[in-house]
Amino acid sequence: MSLVDTVPVVDEGTPPSPTRRQGRRVTPLRRKQIITAYLFLIPAVVFFVAMFFYPLFNELLTSFTSGLTDPVPVGFDNYLRALSDPVVIHSFLVTLEYAAGSLVGSIIIGLLLALMLNQGLRGRVVLRTMILVPYMTSIAIVGLLWRNILDPSVGILNTALHAVGLPGQEWLNTAPLQTLIGITVWQESGYVMMLFLAGLQAIPEEVYEASKIDGAGVWTRFRRITVPLLAPTTFFVLLVGVISSMQQFGLPYIVTNGGPGDATSLFVFQVYQETFTNQDIGYASAMAFLLLIFILILSFIQMRIGRRKDLV
Amino acid sequence: MTLAARPARRRSQRGLDDRLFPGATAVSYVVAILLALACVIPLLYMISLAFQSDAEVQGGTAVLLPSTWQWGNIARVFDAAPFGRFLLNSLIVAGLITISHLVFDPMVGYVFAKFDFPLKGAIFTAILATMMISFFVRMLPLYVMFSNAGWLNSYQGLVVPFLMDAFGIFLMRQYMISVPNELGEAARVDGASEWRIYWNIVLPQTKPALAVLGLFSFVFQMNEFIWPLIATSTEQMRVITIALPLFNKESFTQWNLTAMASLLLFVPICALFLFTQKYVVRGIAMSGIK
Repeated sequence: MSLVDTVPVVDEGTPPSPTRRQGRRVTPLRRKQIITAYLFLIPAVVFFVAMFFYPLFNELLTSFTSGLTDPVPVGFDNYLRALSDPVVIHSFLVTLEYAAGSLVGSIIIGLLLALMLNQGLRGRVVLRTMILVPYMTSIAIVGLLWRNILDPSVGILNTALHAVGLPGQEWLNTAPLQTLIGITVWQESGYVMMLFLAGLQAIPEEVYEASKIDGAGVWTRFRRITVPLLAPTTFFVLLVGVISSMQQFGLPYIVTNGGPGDATSLFVFQVYQETFTNQDIGYASAMAFLLLIFILILSFIQMRIGRRKDLV
Repeated sequence: MTLAARPARRRSQRGLDDRLFPGATAVSYVVAILLALACVIPLLYMISLAFQSDAEVQGGTAVLLPSTWQWGNIARVFDAAPFGRFLLNSLIVAGLITISHLVFDPMVGYVFAKFDFPLKGAIFTAILATMMISFFVRMLPLYVMFSNAGWLNSYQGLVVPFLMDAFGIFLMRQYMISVPNELGEAARVDGASEWRIYWNIVLPQTKPALAVLGLFSFVFQMNEFIWPLIATSTEQMRVITIALPLFNKESFTQWNLTAMASLLLFVPICALFLFTQKYVVRGIAMSGIK
């Protein structure tokens, strides 16, 4: 759920900038403004075309062929194959389960933390810092560290279990997906907490004051004010969370290698395998495009609903 | 949405008359402290692990703290693999990308915030839409492109796909909308060049947003995993995030050295975070604002 993945809602109602808006006629001054704007934009247009839209176009073409070497056009074959391939379907379902688990976990813990810290607990800055550290830590470190902690023979969790007379556990064998979910919740609850804190701060104090005067109790205020007014934030967390969970690569790559079996073969890990291990390039491209379509659908839902502020 | 003056402590006093049940504040403290500890204890354990002896990490029973702190592990990790080089590579790549974001993102954001021109809406939408393009869609075409250009396994190969960032552009545009026009207008009347207006007048007013942008760009690039994994093939060009799991695979019994190598990345990022928290908090809050 990293920051760079977030998709802010485009505010279509942005008023035109107040500079130079003297009618439709192209005055020399306005022409100069237009030229300036385009000059400033040249690097960006070149970059985004070369590094985003051209690769996207290439990937689309590849997805309709047999591969990169001696490509043969195959129409929608790769897509049809992917949509009926049990491996791909399994991988998609596992990813959805991973997304659901890690979102439910991090939303519950993140909201709980935000509500507690928002009460003005003493030392909340220190607590907030501690909670955010995992989020700032690289997935490479997080993955390796948890692999060590959970290791059945040298890991400290099993040592602790043995010390109190309990049998050791092989979490990465018996509950691999749940373990990855747990690691994600550990890493990302802090980020979710920050989003909820921002949402809580945006609720006007007057709303609470007014309801207090009306005699509403704490629980009523939470249910009738806090929960509905946090709905946009929750919705944002959900969508951003699903989109970023769909792209979780580091954990299966470092912690489980997709296994045991195919228990943690998250979708993009599967795409990576098809691309670089099996080198089934056309097929992998189609899978990547299906992912893109899924993300686009979610993003459009977000934009639609995000605009209807009265609803959320 | 503005960065400035978020009334951070406005409601810090609330809560005293808002208790759900008697003792709720005490329970809040206990739960919050326990959760905060759960966040940092694994990372503290990593520090302990880094200073344990080989016998302790291979003994079959994990120990919480080393019996004697093995300061020699610091030197050993650099002997075991060229971690200095890996860290330097990470710093070079993340540094170059951060500089590029700081140069280009505000420039583009400025145009969208302050100028009117044909196709403005279309270009802006197209740039924002790139946020939805998962890296896994670009991964293979970029690999092929860079392979043909001979850019795989080079600094330019690691840097170029990330030179600009739609989120950074969006952030800077939002911030620049709130920068007043008057000074720029006055300078324009005085005959200042457009570049001077941007560079000397507008840009200096966006320092808080630049700080957020620079910090996030740097941290995220230091932590970047997938592209360096694909785009580098020799030890010379390897960055530290990729080197860590590889090292662990080669010497999987030496968890102490893996942990020590992890600290090489963790400690600087963590220190940076502690010193610039204000900006991190602001940046995350902004990512959620619509």
